[in-house]
Amino acid sequence: MVVGRAATKAVRPLLSKEFCEARRRAIGLYRAFYRYIPYILTFYDITKNEEDMRWKLREYFYKNACITDVRVIDLLVIKGYCELKEVTNQWQQKGHMMRHWSPTIERKPTDFLGKFYAGID
Amino acid sequence: MLRQPLSRALTLSSPVRAAPLAARPYSAAPPPPEKFEVFIDDKPVQVAPGTTILQAAAQVGVEIPRFCYHERLAVAGNCRMCLVEIEKSPKPAAACAMPVMKGMRIKTNSDLTRKAREGVMEFLLVNHPLDCPICDQGGECDLQDQSMAFGSDRSRFTDIHFSGKRAVEDKDVGPLIKTIMTRCIHCTRCIRFASEVAGVDDFGTTGRGSDMQVGTYVEKMFLSELSGNIIDLCPVGALTSKPYSFAARPWETRRIDSVDVLDPLGSNIVVATRTNEVLRILPRTNEEINEEWLSDKSRFACDGLKRQRLVTPMMKDSRGNLVPVEWEDAMVAAARALRDCPPGKLLAVAGDLADAESLVALKDLVNRLGSENTCTEQYFPLDGAGIDLRSSYLCNTKIANVEDSDFVLLIGTNTRLEAPLLNARIRKAFIHKDTDVAYIGPKVDLTYEYMHVGDSASIVKDLASGSSSHEVLKRLESAQRPVVILGADQLKTPEGPALLAYTQELALRLQDKLQDKNWKVLNVLQRTASQVAALDIGYQPGVGKALADGPQVVYLLGADSGVVSRDQLPKGAVVIYQGHHGDAGAAMADIVLPGAAYTEKRATYVNAEGRAQQTLVAVTPPGKAREDWKILRALSEVIGERLPYDNLDEVRDRLSQISPALVTYGDVQANNYFAQARTLAQSLQKPVSGKLDVKLKQLEDFFMTDTISRASPTMAKCVQAVIKQKQSKY
Amino acid sequence: MLSSLRTGVQGVWRAASRSIQTSSALQHDSLFVHRDTPEDNPDIPFEFSEANKKRVEALLGIYPEGHKRGAMIPLLDLAQRQAGGWLPISAMHKVAEILKLPRMRVYEVATFYTMFIRRPIGKYHIQVCTTTPCWLRGSDAILKALTEGTQCHVGGNSPCGKFSISEVECLGACVNAPMIQVNDDYYEDLSVDDTKEIIEKLKRDEKPKAGPRSGRFASEPLGGLTSLTEEPTGPGFGLQPGLKA
Repeated sequence: MVVGRAATKAVRPLLSKEFCEARRRAIGLYRAFYRYIPYILTFYDITKNEEDMRWKLREYFYKNACITDVRVIDLLVIKGYCELKEVTNQWQQKGHMMRHWSPTIERKPTDFLGKFYAGID
Repeated sequence: MLRQPLSRALTLSSPVRAAPLAARPYSAAPPPPEKFEVFIDDKPVQVAPGTTILQAAAQVGVEIPRFCYHERLAVAGNCRMCLVEIEKSPKPAAACAMPVMKGMRIKTNSDLTRKAREGVMEFLLVNHPLDCPICDQGGECDLQDQSMAFGSDRSRFTDIHFSGKRAVEDKDVGPLIKTIMTRCIHCTRCIRFASEVAGVDDFGTTGRGSDMQVGTYVEKMFLSELSGNIIDLCPVGALTSKPYSFAARPWETRRIDSVDVLDPLGSNIVVATRTNEVLRILPRTNEEINEEWLSDKSRFACDGLKRQRLVTPMMKDSRGNLVPVEWEDAMVAAARALRDCPPGKLLAVAGDLADAESLVALKDLVNRLGSENTCTEQYFPLDGAGIDLRSSYLCNTKIANVEDSDFVLLIGTNTRLEAPLLNARIRKAFIHKDTDVAYIGPKVDLTYEYMHVGDSASIVKDLASGSSSHEVLKRLESAQRPVVILGADQLKTPEGPALLAYTQELALRLQDKLQDKNWKVLNVLQRTASQVAALDIGYQPGVGKALADGPQVVYLLGADSGVVSRDQLPKGAVVIYQGHHGDAGAAMADIVLPGAAYTEKRATYVNAEGRAQQTLVAVTPPGKAREDWKILRALSEVIGERLPYDNLDEVRDRLSQISPALVTYGDVQANNYFAQARTLAQSLQKPVSGKLDVKLKQLEDFFMTDTISRASPTMAKCVQAVIKQKQSKY
Repeated sequence: MLSSLRTGVQGVWRAASRSIQTSSALQHDSLFVHRDTPEDNPDIPFEFSEANKKRVEALLGIYPEGHKRGAMIPLLDLAQRQAGGWLPISAMHKVAEILKLPRMRVYEVATFYTMFIRRPIGKYHIQVCTTTPCWLRGSDAILKALTEGTQCHVGGNSPCGKFSISEVECLGACVNAPMIQVNDDYYEDLSVDDTKEIIEKLKRDEKPKAGPRSGRFASEPLGGLTSLTEEPTGPGFGLQPGLKA
């Protein structure tokens, strides 16, 4: 019986060769977005404040926190930079910005007090 | 043209005015007359003698067009639109005035009838101006509807090139009614209404023929609290609502049924809204309360709903100014104040327009916090039976039954200004059934003649004990259906309990002798729409005693009449105000919680007779305002003593736990325990010496009595106009 | 420069503007709403004179209890006569007070009947009939003579305040056309000279001779009777013999 080693495959890297490089890229993307948040609030007429935007940014990054595959991280970072380019060039509009807080995912309050504060019947 | 019903005009035929009414045989009611058969469009119908063709046709379901006929007014027969053909008669007859005879065959759709209708319509349109685009009545105009249904499709009017159409000057009858008399078709409904129902004989027809004008001849304002109803009566756009002019077309509006809370009777209304604002309020027919009339304050005070509104929660900052805050902050502050208040030092005061749901929520909350001090602004004596027996504080003769009475005694209440539609009923009885009215109080104009017995409270004592020498006592004792109405304002004085005791004694003494065992004599007319519900739920009437204890936290639920003021409270007392208008209550508050007005919530109100009715949501509350009971429920949760109901149905279940009468909408319970109340009141019959005085004496006092009408610019204009008219020479 | 420009522009505008199609307003000669004037307002008190008060009692006595409102027209007429030929508003208020009716009912009756004049009128109210028979017999000339003689235009009062002229409908004296009525008297069969004489006499406050001015007594033919010349027939005239006796 052959003792199986974890099957690995050698593939061509996308951008980074190892994990910490990919991590550094991801953190770079985070910093870029973080620094652009005040400008988003200036240029887009949305009803969110800085705290909400930063939290949403965190949420997005935390959602992908458990990914370990370097190429996937690279691709997500590339897509993130595409997104950033669209935001900074004003190719996206306020609707696109507000979509990040879509109500079907952000749950409506169901308890009496929550409904009362939100003004829902 | 019968301006007044014959019974009134021929006063010769009513010697009962001079003689005692024992002559009226109520016990031996005449047998119903024999019905006979007539044929309307070959459909047989059985009618009693004296019915007119129009009424007989209505029984079958055939609606005959008419302009001047109105079921609640005398028959005029001057528009001629109701002409129908009767077989074997060469001329068509006016269906509204012609009584049917046995075997009559009436054709409402024959050629002659149709030709008559087209002819009448043609004549009406000859002198009618082409105002439809600018006329407010467009879309709800009888002339438009009937000309489409019954008129000819082409015009033969060529006179426009010669003498043109007639034009008539507009008349100024006040800030509520816009008159464009060119459009008037002389149906005389307004004249008959002013003369019969409103009692102010100011309208009439001057001139004759082409030059006839309907108006007041001299420039006079129509000084009646029911003046807005002629706007509904006028079939064309001659009389329209001035505040509502050019506002909207009827098909654009959404109409929601509701109940009016600006007077204690709870008249049924229809709230017309468009784009979430209340445009106008119209009456809804309810035979038992308001028939189809509505008082001016209820109708025109709706523009007060847009002014002086509380739209955000507010709290007093360090400098003593109220600043807007978020709901969470206000709730937390209010909860802290309520929780830290020692039990027994918490006072809750309910105002004039509070609904039953918020009343019960407030009482439950306050009780859970250990206090029993829930009060209403309006006082009612707690001595004797107090508020334990429901019949002591309600109008037990229902409003509709007042028109069947044969003698009415009013004690210290100006029903004309306190409850205009009850006064209209008394007037109806006065005109049609020869009911006499006696009145104890200061001299006021009630629109009908009454025996003014005096204004001292001892008269009631004399009547109750039977020792009075006034002829009113004889009339009361001989009446088969007497009604005694006591105004609740009179019970505020220290003599109040005695006065109530004497009134109960008098009413019970009369009631015991009656043959009709279901007739109730005693009525106490409350002043506000919330009082009866509050008393039913268990609020203490009157704040005097509770204020004397020195409360530390005062919760005002819409309490704006100035009964509670800052200087009566100890220093450092926290006042929390929950209401919808920024009036006296909000001005002295530390925390303001914005609530909803009566058009913005689904709420229960109990009227003066004890009839529970509900208002429905017509518009949403403005800004951050919320429904009242929900504020209290949220507050209870923040405090920690969560109330056990989460939605309206559960609140109403709680209401029905307290009293099922609070949720049986539309019904009046037959109240009892009069004898027990009287026994309990025996000890209170002390001598009384004061004078009875009413708060609302003149018409200018009528318009601004509660927080919504005080905020209304239309009501302010009315007060100004009435004062100006009273200085005029007419 | 500017004024000439304005007139020039006006001329251009007048030529270029469309005239609005109007017809002459068809109006009655009397107003059917009340406007307060210094002579006619409710502050001027009106009381029936002592003699008239007795007449009021007599008039009210004709009507049974409950129907006193039937006396409204006679009372208004009495008030009109006392006030000098016209009804002030305070007289209407007084009549309403006597009959215990709302004032509007009195206004209605007073505006319905054309014989109730509701504006101040001269001492002599000259009413000229201008309907067909009188017109055919020359009432236009009579009217012209009256307006020139009194300096009063039709429907108004004369400058001296003594005369008022109104054109009225047929007064029922067609046989004696043309005719006028002054206060309560008819002056019939008039010629222009007769009219001038009447005016002169009235100006001097003398009463002219009423009735026909052409010499006849009433409406009989001037040259003697042309019909009804025989003695009136007795009963049974023209009956067939079978019905006699």
